[in-house]
Amino acid sequence: MSSALPIASGSPPDVPTTSTEASIQVRNLSYFFGRGDLRKQVLFDISLDLYPGQIVIMTGPSGSGKTTLLTLIGALRSATEGSLRVLGQELVGLGSRQLVEIRRNIGFIFQAHNLFESLTAAQNVEMAVELTGNFRGKRQQAVDILSQVGLAERADYKPAALSGGQKQRVAIARALVNQPQLILADEPTAALDKQSGRDVVTLMQQLAQEKGCTILMVTHDNRILDVADRIINLVDGRLESDASPQQYADAHAPKSLDQKMFMM
Amino acid sequence: MKFPTLPRIPLAWYNLRHDRPRLLVAVAGVTFAVLLMFMNLGFLGALVSTTTNFYDQFNGDIFLISPQSLEISTTKAFPRERLYQASGIEGVRQVMPLYTEYTLWKNPETKISRAMFVYAFNPSDPVFLMPELDTVKKRRALQQPNTAFIDRRSRPEFGPQTLGLETEADRRHVTVVGQYDLGGGFAADGTLIMSDQNFLRYFSPRPLTEVNLGLVLLDPGADAQRVKAALEDQLPADVEVYTKPEIILKESKYWIQTTSIGFIFGLGVLVSFVVGTVIVYQILYTDIRDHLREYATLKAIGYSGGYLFKTVIQEAILLALMGYVPGLALALGLYELAYNATAGTLPMRMTLFRVGFVFALTVLMCALSGLISVRKAVTADPAEVFA
Repeated sequence: MSSALPIASGSPPDVPTTSTEASIQVRNLSYFFGRGDLRKQVLFDISLDLYPGQIVIMTGPSGSGKTTLLTLIGALRSATEGSLRVLGQELVGLGSRQLVEIRRNIGFIFQAHNLFESLTAAQNVEMAVELTGNFRGKRQQAVDILSQVGLAERADYKPAALSGGQKQRVAIARALVNQPQLILADEPTAALDKQSGRDVVTLMQQLAQEKGCTILMVTHDNRILDVADRIINLVDGRLESDASPQQYADAHAPKSLDQKMFMM
Repeated sequence: MKFPTLPRIPLAWYNLRHDRPRLLVAVAGVTFAVLLMFMNLGFLGALVSTTTNFYDQFNGDIFLISPQSLEISTTKAFPRERLYQASGIEGVRQVMPLYTEYTLWKNPETKISRAMFVYAFNPSDPVFLMPELDTVKKRRALQQPNTAFIDRRSRPEFGPQTLGLETEADRRHVTVVGQYDLGGGFAADGTLIMSDQNFLRYFSPRPLTEVNLGLVLLDPGADAQRVKAALEDQLPADVEVYTKPEIILKESKYWIQTTSIGFIFGLGVLVSFVVGTVIVYQILYTDIRDHLREYATLKAIGYSGGYLFKTVIQEAILLALMGYVPGLALALGLYELAYNATAGTLPMRMTLFRVGFVFALTVLMCALSGLISVRKAVTADPAEVFA
């Protein structure tokens, strides 16, 4: 085999100092859909550590379980087998009420912006601030974060009056306003043109560096792979590779065509 | 020192307001349901009040009636002795018998006979409060043989009512010597008033010792409930004792509960309620379906199902309020219209009870729709927004 990629072993290539605690620690995680005869395993024995300040991109063919893994880490599903520690809290075995609490510490960015059409950009962001109980400062917080994503002028516009890139930036502002230690993003650039997509990831990169938070992003968008510190490849529910962008690019360069290329 | 917290973003209100045409349709739907409920209750109330409002013209504080009587036109007579016994009770000023029967009144123009309800009384008794019959002098005309007053509210099929008109009642000659406004309950199409002596002539061999309704006037300052208790204590079980409000209530109950009238209009209210529920449900359900991704997103970022539940119920209550107010205004207008169109014979009157009752029904209606449709929002799977 010509592949130079190391097989995932739980020790990433670019490990920061060991004193830093991982913000996500996955051990032998398996996940099943359905029950009884229809029970189908979608994740097989995943082990993974993500550290603060890292931007990690997760790729893989559709149906490989990326989104499932993302929703498990995001406490949107309850894991049953293995161990899943997010921000120092074990998620396996938690009830739905406790999962809601966990989610408040995570910023979510979705492929569709999922903004309320009936609320202005600022109000959409304020909906997230209200979760912290900060009612007095919510407007100021919302406007501040919108300024950071370059939308100060558009704070009082409704989504219908914003472009696709602007809407996605509002969604990012909503995800970031409570300064979460972990940001989960699912195809954040899929609906955007090249320039808007680039702007959005640059913004995320900046914020990750400034706030030192962990960003886990699922994407198929090859144009933005360079912002990643690590690229994880998931195939058929198994961790296939865990590499730096350079290694990943080398492995997937057209000259070294191999079967993995066709799985992308 | 705690600062008052600024209110949450009223998501329910913004969601409703966002789609103006849909909001308008929803409010119109609720308004329509509210209006239907008001009209059904209005007609019911008006009918019931026409069936009992003649009691307002009866000059009695307490009424004696046989327990076998159903309502004024379906009575069983009781012995006149009961009145004499009642007159001995402390606090009773005067007792007066009222006799009732049906007769066949011949329309002098078409010669077609039709059942007419007859009240008969002793013209020296102040039984009626109508201005045409409130003095002995005005009642004197009734003392001539074969005479009667005719009710202006009698149906036109009974023919003209000019004074001095002569026709037949139960194949006996009769002369109209006066008119009045009274009515005779729901069953009577027209009424006559005659003296007890003429009553004997027309309804022989019925004796005057059998009374249909006993009217009791009390001394000024006498306590009606106390006298009523004394009467019940003294009189045998072949008469029942009611104050005026009580006998009106008893007859209203008879018409509402034991005839099809209450059922028909009750069904009308129920149908309006169901229609309103369905309309509001449709609106809320569509709203939730359109916003399902947003609701799921709210759950994903940490809102609980309870918050979404509250939001949907708030939308329902807001719709109830916005639909109720114009519904009430329209109903008041239509009540006035119906009252005027029927020249006051259909007394459509808004009551405070009805205002509150329909309001409660409206809120219930919208809350019910909210509860049916809310499940979809609360069970929105936050993981689906990533799909």
